[in-house]
Amino acid sequence: MPAKTRYLNARVVRNEDERLLTGRARFVDDVDLPGMAHVAFVRSDYAHARITAIDASAARSRPGVFAVYTADDLGEYSQPAPLLVPPPPIEDLIFHPRTHLPLAREKVRYVGEPIAMIVAASRYIAEDAIRDVVVDADPLDPVVDLEAGLAPGAPLVHEDLESNAAAHVVQRKGDYAAARARADIVVTRRLLYDRGAAAAMENRAVVAQWDTQAEELTIWDTTQAPIPIRNGLAAKLGLLQSQVRVVAPFVGGGFGPKIMMFYPEELLVPWAAMRLRRPVKWTEDRQENFYATTQERGQVHDAEMALTRDGRILGVKDVFLFYTGAYDPYGLTIPINTQCTLLGPYDIEHYDSTFTAVFTNKPIVTPVRGAGRQHGVFVSERLLDIAARELGIDRVEIRKRNLLGPDRFPHNHGIMFQDSAPLIYDSGNYLPTLERAAEMIGYEQLVREQAARRAEGRHVGVGVACYVEGTGIGPYEGARVTVEPGGTVRVATGVGTQGQGHYTVFAQIVADVLGVDVRNVLVVTGDTREFQWGTGTFASRGAVVAGSACHAAALAVRAKIAALSAQLLNTQPEDIAVENGRAFVRDAPDRGFALGELALKANPLRGAVRPGTEPGLESTAYFGPDRGSTASGVHAMIVEVDPETAMVKIERYVVVHDCGAMINPMLVEGQIHGGVAHGIGNAFYEQLVYDEQGQLMNASFMDYLLPTATDVPPIETDHRETPSPFNPVGLKGVGEAGCIPTGAVFAQAVEDALRDLNVEILEIPMNPNSLFALIAGAGKP
Amino acid sequence: MILEGTFTFSGPRAVVWDLLQDPAVLAKALPGTERLELVGDDRYEGVMKVSVGPVTAAKFDVTVALKDKVAPERFTMQIDGKGGVGFTRGTASIALTEVDAQSTSMAYSSNVQVGGKIAAVGQRLIESVAKMMMRQALDALEQELRARLAGGAASA
Amino acid sequence: MIISVTVNGIGYQREVEPRLLLSDFLRHELGLTGTHVGCEHGVCGACTILFDAEPARSCIMLAVQANGHTLQTVEGLAPHDAALAPIQTAFRDTHALQCGFCTPGFLMTLTAFLRDNPSPTQPEIRDALSANLCRCTGYQHIVEAVTRACKDALP
Repeated sequence: MPAKTRYLNARVVRNEDERLLTGRARFVDDVDLPGMAHVAFVRSDYAHARITAIDASAARSRPGVFAVYTADDLGEYSQPAPLLVPPPPIEDLIFHPRTHLPLAREKVRYVGEPIAMIVAASRYIAEDAIRDVVVDADPLDPVVDLEAGLAPGAPLVHEDLESNAAAHVVQRKGDYAAARARADIVVTRRLLYDRGAAAAMENRAVVAQWDTQAEELTIWDTTQAPIPIRNGLAAKLGLLQSQVRVVAPFVGGGFGPKIMMFYPEELLVPWAAMRLRRPVKWTEDRQENFYATTQERGQVHDAEMALTRDGRILGVKDVFLFYTGAYDPYGLTIPINTQCTLLGPYDIEHYDSTFTAVFTNKPIVTPVRGAGRQHGVFVSERLLDIAARELGIDRVEIRKRNLLGPDRFPHNHGIMFQDSAPLIYDSGNYLPTLERAAEMIGYEQLVREQAARRAEGRHVGVGVACYVEGTGIGPYEGARVTVEPGGTVRVATGVGTQGQGHYTVFAQIVADVLGVDVRNVLVVTGDTREFQWGTGTFASRGAVVAGSACHAAALAVRAKIAALSAQLLNTQPEDIAVENGRAFVRDAPDRGFALGELALKANPLRGAVRPGTEPGLESTAYFGPDRGSTASGVHAMIVEVDPETAMVKIERYVVVHDCGAMINPMLVEGQIHGGVAHGIGNAFYEQLVYDEQGQLMNASFMDYLLPTATDVPPIETDHRETPSPFNPVGLKGVGEAGCIPTGAVFAQAVEDALRDLNVEILEIPMNPNSLFALIAGAGKP
Repeated sequence: MILEGTFTFSGPRAVVWDLLQDPAVLAKALPGTERLELVGDDRYEGVMKVSVGPVTAAKFDVTVALKDKVAPERFTMQIDGKGGVGFTRGTASIALTEVDAQSTSMAYSSNVQVGGKIAAVGQRLIESVAKMMMRQALDALEQELRARLAGGAASA
Repeated sequence: MIISVTVNGIGYQREVEPRLLLSDFLRHELGLTGTHVGCEHGVCGACTILFDAEPARSCIMLAVQANGHTLQTVEGLAPHDAALAPIQTAFRDTHALQCGFCTPGFLMTLTAFLRDNPSPTQPEIRDALSANLCRCTGYQHIVEAVTRACKDALP
């Protein structure tokens, strides 16, 4: 009897790799259509200005230019983009939605805001024509700083509002004031955490083609959410959803900004294609990406933690400011994530968190890998480290004393999460993860040897940081599984893929249920013609939600296989085994069918299909969890710092994480490595530097530094598993895990290395310049 | 970007003052100036081509307005440049002090903002390019001054 | 201007504008879309091809510079009798690619590097990779792929 195929927890090599490795994979800019025109945008050079006139006549008369559009040319199409994420129903929440127009009218609010769209015979001519367009702009004083933006008399980004406060949200549980009153110590600090550009290697692109005869619009888009894009564009363009097909082919990295939806370019390229009756393409260039694609930026926290002298956290109070940029289409996802993730794996009974989101004259902020969780983790981990130092308790020990025990699940924190459901941790077991990480990094040994090393003149430090991450949120995803007559199993789902291995991971799930070879499962995704219902790839939910839908659909197909085989073989469905691509009577294996053969039989050309059944071996299923599942982990790192040059070398980096059941451990590792690299970039190398006029000064890879192979250390990983009770396979998300606590562990390790210099790191990024200044200023009264 | 400094011209203050008010002289002295014309009371308009690092021969339409003129001691300039690769705006103040009958010290102080694409990729170079342009302009003005004092204009 | 270029063993003759970038020529004129464009200022390395057998960044070169030269792109890596070259197989087996956008650039850089350095040390590998950016993998599996490709190549 051949062995049963088992694909859960299997290091299966990816199905999609051959195409990607040989240059045969289609990315959006690869699409070349006959008669295709190319787009370039005239973008604002000013962070804040009133537009008094736009003269496009010279551009329009340049040979090779087909059209130049400004806001006036759009007519009714010029509408504010939709609010993508309405805020959750938190009591007394204040939120002012202000979204962008496709092309700026009367006022520009950030450098890079699109003012005119040029459509020409080639990208080269279109870019030439940018200089032909004369924009008369009266510059206004820009708002570039959070606190200055809220000061009375600050220039208003949105003049119909009384201030630049975009939102004000308070979440509370327990009674922090009372907790503080009985605390033995209270640690109070101001903490700054800045993020940066997602910097996916592929910039954004949109191609649109209107077939005037079939009356169908096809759009290729580097989006993480093809289905919502289709639905939104169909509505805006006055088309049926079925007339619009959105294809997100291979996408070169998402990391968040590609799930920002209804970017100006996404709204305008299809509109232009329909008007001009020719295919239209826009490909972003890297410099444009720094303004035109959303990014994440910083938060300023004034936080305090109240503890007993044993290091037990009684409560946390946090007041913070958050940059939302010039508009806020993505609602309050990021700062609410911050509020929730601050609680971490700890038992914190009293919590008082307030934030104000501030409009500034800078590009729009939407989630970038981590989506505000890093900021929360940084605050709680730093305060805990400082408390540990003041109380004379070891840093790992103080964490152990505060962890939620395994008997406390599901744990309702009493505040609201970004998905509008209460923040409930589904499952977790934090102590073994922490102990394993400390063991792997050699924590105790390093602490013992530290003094000796310092005596040798070497500043070595270790950091250990914990986090909990909400993943796998709803609303839902779906999948359709079909056994084809040739025996191949086809899986169609709605989520796009930007490198997460969906073509393999979903195949593994289905192959496992249907007993077929994973190479015989063809996954089709990111094409609205193939699957019509779903949301997208974000918030570490692809495998959890779409994977669970694939699982459910495969189970339904398996039931059909068993039912049909039983009927044909005159036995009961319970007697049928489905293994190795066949369905057969378990006790008489010769009596059975290859699945492809069975699929043919399921689709009769004569006879009848019984009422209540369907032809073929196909099923569609949806999965919509009530709430997300909670992944967690611990990062640890050892660094050596040269106090004279402030250069930091990472000696070792350890990640122990719990993402529930794993489908493909090799892919999980890849996600963690990539996340850690991103976190290292965030902590040390990357920063978007704006001047006082809101001009971005480092809009290129020459000056915006991404970590390279010599900057990222080998990362040692280990895995713990507390399955999620919210989906049948027990999955939790892992896409963002690598980058969430990196800043916190970095700060702790560097501070530990420089302990004799009394340096306190309260800010990320911490690059050599700022570290040098910190060292120079440390120890002074 | 703040640009300030001093320069000593080898000529009397009144001659230096006149030189600085002459658009033809300024057009020749400022590197990259294609055209500079007096278009109104103390207002100049022109075209300049500037190269900053990877951005070569970027064309700017410039207007300069003179204010607070106290001949022959000082004046301020309001500068506005707009082009396809960005813009520049700022003010500069010039003060001339007599050192002796044959030499004049000029003190200049300017605060200029640069924005747009040229600022986003040329940031590190903008200040050094501006300083270099300033040096070249001052040297050219000194040459012109000497030629003028010797009788006749300097060759182009 | 008319240029003659040999790409992956095939000769092409085309009329091009002097300012046409080599990356655009390969991708849109010749339809070889395997070479990707990440930055257009020569830093990320996604556009790396072999120009007369040496790695070159096609995004900061002009098509006219390729006149009379021999180029190799990722489409020309796999030998005629196999689906994948050894370095490509190694990448697949160690999960050295996720979104795959930077991958062609790495493969071309490595083709030249491993030809000239058949048994590099770990630091030498990381050094050789340091001029190609990847945002997905954190580089670790890429380093493993190179190590494996070298081991597999040992007689």
